[in-house]
Amino acid sequence: MSGYDVRDAAARRDEGVRTVTKFTWRAGVAGVICSALLGLAFGHHADTQTAQQRQQGILVPSQPPGPGHGAGQVTSGAT
Amino acid sequence: MTTTTVARDTFRVFGTTAVLLVTEAGALSQARALADAELAAVDQACSRFRPDSELTALNAARGATVTVSELFADLLAAALRAARLTDGDVDPTCGQALAGLGYDRDFDQVRAGGPASLATVPGPVPGWRRVELDDEYRQVRLPAGTGLDLGATAKAWASDHCAGLIAGHLGCGVLVSLGGDLAVAGPGPAEGWRVRVTDDHAAGPEAPGQTVTITEGGLATSSTTVRTWTAGGRQVHHIIDPATGGPARVCWRTVSVAAGSCVDANTASTAAIIRGEAAVSWLDEAGLPARLVRPDGTVVTTAGWPADNTPAVSP
Repeated sequence: MSGYDVRDAAARRDEGVRTVTKFTWRAGVAGVICSALLGLAFGHHADTQTAQQRQQGILVPSQPPGPGHGAGQVTSGAT
Repeated sequence: MTTTTVARDTFRVFGTTAVLLVTEAGALSQARALADAELAAVDQACSRFRPDSELTALNAARGATVTVSELFADLLAAALRAARLTDGDVDPTCGQALAGLGYDRDFDQVRAGGPASLATVPGPVPGWRRVELDDEYRQVRLPAGTGLDLGATAKAWASDHCAGLIAGHLGCGVLVSLGGDLAVAGPGPAEGWRVRVTDDHAAGPEAPGQTVTITEGGLATSSTTVRTWTAGGRQVHHIIDPATGGPARVCWRTVSVAAGSCVDANTASTAAIIRGEAAVSWLDEAGLPARLVRPDGTVVTTAGWPADNTPAVSP
């Protein structure tokens, strides 16, 4: 193999490595961006679902009953 | 502390006792008129014992689609929501099961009629998922042979709506109790509304139990000891376990729950009776303050229900 062929082969190899590296970086960056977008989209969706589920559940009083003394003004019992 | 003067009216409705409290004496007669109109409309819509009610017509439709009033659609939606929130423990398709146990007419007549024979062998109820409700067109279809009973939610729903209506129209504080399912609205007494929680809503204000105060939402009590009768040679009660179609096994004598509305409080108290021991963790996890009384009088509380300083109630 002549010296020219060796240099040419090495140059082609280096060019190939650069191309693969560039592609890998681009794919990686695209993956990170897509993941972030998906995370934002589904994260927001999950928040919405949780809020809806909370809203659709049995309504909890903002404060529990307080202690009372003596007779009641009204009675809560079964009918 | 100053104590707010409260005006009171007591009357009969839905076969039970209603109590109306308002913080302005001058508003009482108008409040009563508003409540009467609302309650008459609810009775016309969903009484299981009136031959002219919408519910009776729907139960007799044999699978046909029926157009209902907006009020009935709201009442049915509330019942289906209760079923969904309790995974079907509070199921409105228990009408046939109740009728099979002899509860097929006004309860005073059931009691007066003496022991009933079992008309059918209990089995699982048809299930709330089989009820088709089209909200937009107000159309409902039940599978043939399915009987609806909205008793677990309609009375509580009516309490909520009467209270909201009266507070909205008259601007006063109001408490509406329909057979012990109570809702409050408007600016109530500074010290809160005093409620005696006990087994029987008809008991006096000093009956064995506990006095608590509430300032918002609703409070409801379900019990296996009050609405009872004899059928098939044994004592039965009116809270149906949808899984069996028979009365729920008695783990709790009485369950009282406070919630953001009366209908939600009653949904939870009824479900708790059916869930038995598992109700304690369910109520706690849901953040619902509740007081559960075992048949021997032992009291269990959840989610911030105030301490009961009264002695345990004798069974």
